[in-house]
Amino acid sequence: MNSKSVADLNIGESAVITSVGDDCIDVHCHCLRLMELGFTPGQEVTVVAKSPFKNPLAISVRGTIIALRKGEAECIKINSNGSGD
Amino acid sequence: MAQATKAQNCHETGTLTEITNEKPVIALIGMPNSGKTTLFNSLTGSNFKTSNYPGATVEYSTGNLAGKYDFESGVLDSPGIVSLNPSSPDEEIAIDGLFNHPRFGLPNVVIITADSTQISRQLFLVKQVIDSGFKTIIALTMNDLLGRKGLEIDSEKLSEVLGIPVVKINSKKGTGLRELIEESKKIILLYNIEHLSSKIYKPSHPTEEAIAKLYDFTEETEQKVLIHNDKQVSIDVINKKVFRTLQRKPDENSMKLDKFFLHPFWGIIIFIISMGIIFTSIFWIAQPLMDLVDSAFSSLSSAVSNFLPGNTWYSDLITNGVINGFGSVMVFVPQIVILFILLGLLEDTGYLARAAMLIDRPLTKFGLNGRSFIPMLSGYACAIPAIMAARTISNRYERFLTIMIIPLMSCSARLPVYALLLAFLVPPSTPWIAGIGLGALYLFSLISGAVVAGIISKFKKTDEKSTFMLELPPYRTPVFRHIFKNTYYKSAVYVKQAGPTIIIISLLLWALTYFPNTSPQIETGSSNVTEQQINRIIESERLNTSYAATIGKYVFEPVLKPLGWDWRVGVSLISAFAAREVFVSAMAITFNITEDSDNSDNLQKSILTSMRNAKSTDGTQPLFTTASTIALIIYFMFAMQCLSTVAVARKETGSWKIPLMQIVVYTFMAYILAFITYNGLNLLGIR
Repeated sequence: MNSKSVADLNIGESAVITSVGDDCIDVHCHCLRLMELGFTPGQEVTVVAKSPFKNPLAISVRGTIIALRKGEAECIKINSNGSGD
Repeated sequence: MAQATKAQNCHETGTLTEITNEKPVIALIGMPNSGKTTLFNSLTGSNFKTSNYPGATVEYSTGNLAGKYDFESGVLDSPGIVSLNPSSPDEEIAIDGLFNHPRFGLPNVVIITADSTQISRQLFLVKQVIDSGFKTIIALTMNDLLGRKGLEIDSEKLSEVLGIPVVKINSKKGTGLRELIEESKKIILLYNIEHLSSKIYKPSHPTEEAIAKLYDFTEETEQKVLIHNDKQVSIDVINKKVFRTLQRKPDENSMKLDKFFLHPFWGIIIFIISMGIIFTSIFWIAQPLMDLVDSAFSSLSSAVSNFLPGNTWYSDLITNGVINGFGSVMVFVPQIVILFILLGLLEDTGYLARAAMLIDRPLTKFGLNGRSFIPMLSGYACAIPAIMAARTISNRYERFLTIMIIPLMSCSARLPVYALLLAFLVPPSTPWIAGIGLGALYLFSLISGAVVAGIISKFKKTDEKSTFMLELPPYRTPVFRHIFKNTYYKSAVYVKQAGPTIIIISLLLWALTYFPNTSPQIETGSSNVTEQQINRIIESERLNTSYAATIGKYVFEPVLKPLGWDWRVGVSLISAFAAREVFVSAMAITFNITEDSDNSDNLQKSILTSMRNAKSTDGTQPLFTTASTIALIIYFMFAMQCLSTVAVARKETGSWKIPLMQIVVYTFMAYILAFITYNGLNLLGIR
């Protein structure tokens, strides 16, 4: 099981979500909310921008851009061969 | 129980137009930025705006269908929601209102706005609402934006898949609206609401599987309904891969602009510049307008007094009590209006959400959230709308912390006070020093807010997890009509919320300074006194023997003496509980009358003259020294001198805990810091 997450992507890089919240410590973390917002397994996401200190990140998903903190982005696991296409 | 009360309260303040119970009700819901409020505006013709910043509809808004639709129905707007599972107070309001509105009960029809450019996301909420049993209609928005990508939605197909009416609309052009109402009408006439209500149930918290399943459905639906709008394109050309990437790509221009606006370096520079512009315009544009309002009310007061018989309690009540009371409410309006226009501009362009993202990290250091940014910024105009804006913060603890520090932000009511006190400190030949001083006070209020938040968050830990998930809407050209309407609405909220308290306290203060000795007897032995001088002596005597003076001398003077102030300052401070700005007019009443001054000058100059002439209680020293005036400024920076804010904080937090803490902690802090300032400066030899 790889543990690469959306937080590891560079600006402009895309990847496909493999799981959301699998390694999360808190069961009632906001992973359900992340999924409701559209971050579901199988979705392609792109990092659009990062704030200074690389936190929060702006991520495009399902036709919109959503700002997430690094900790939240780390809940979104991606396939390891994320590419910058 | 608590939720019901909250919803009811919101309803009370949010209602613009009453809907009677007999009329059918159409509820509008939708995800943030899906065009819901624009649709509401078009349907009702009411004074609301489309919001580019999620959560701008912090209140319910209700209206009636505009006459041109020829159908009597109420329309209910509510904050944007992502799902039927709330994660913040504003979402809770929207969802509670949908299932159990305190006044309207269940809606006959639910119209859901869905942004067609992100249909796989937007159908998520649609499906949840349909599954809850509501009679639902989809209003597809942003069809022109989707068209620019060369795509369109087959609305007939979508209607077939979901089993509900689907109407493509363009609220700005007005297309599709009539059809939308026709569909609503059909449903309203066909189904009895009592019959429907038994079939509606609130869904329980979804599981991951349920969410994934729902999204599987929306994606499947998306594949069926999303088609190329160019009919010439053959099926072969529609390469599956190209089609897939095209359909879920955000607005191209926004992505390009974000490279600049969210740039790690330039993003911060732009942020600082835009905040700088906001604050300088508050100073340079608002101040002359505030002076204008101020002088308009003073001339109204003197014009009215010419018509009234002199020396009666009711003429004094009207000129000094009522008109001045209204004046102190209206004088803040220019600054509030300017700040909200600028905020509205940032909001409408889509920048405000980005600003919240940029500032999130620094704010978390003080236990706050990026979402605290907009309430804090609004706090520089007025704490009342600012505290209400904190509803978009989902974490209860961060929300309360934000509400806690909002009163420290230098609101517009402090500006006249600072202007007066700085004018006293700075020689008139160098007014720019006062300007710098004012800027420093504004900056310092931000720092003190951060420090207080930091200290509280050090001592009070919370288990509640902090989140920041904020949709960044596409950049758009702002619509000025909407901004002005929204500014009008927010200023009206201020006048309605703060106005009555300010006026009541102004009247109370008037009574305390006027009674019991309404017509004091004075000796007019010498014949050299003019009528004007006699009047002044009468007024002075009346005030000196008034209830306010009695309370002031025996209660405030001992407390305030260590700070270098006397009972007259104390009475002015108490009156400032109506609104901080009332301090200035109260100083005018208490000092202009008791001290010899030239009334021909403008208000500020005459107060300044009286302040310079004022002597301490024993009559030997000047009352206002550099030290005691700086101590006053320090006091005003911290003291919780606004009863309207207390009332709103009570309402928004649902208990007295936060407002009481604000009163006790901030008043104590204000006193201690003013004490340290006054005595410290005296020790340093500054008097």
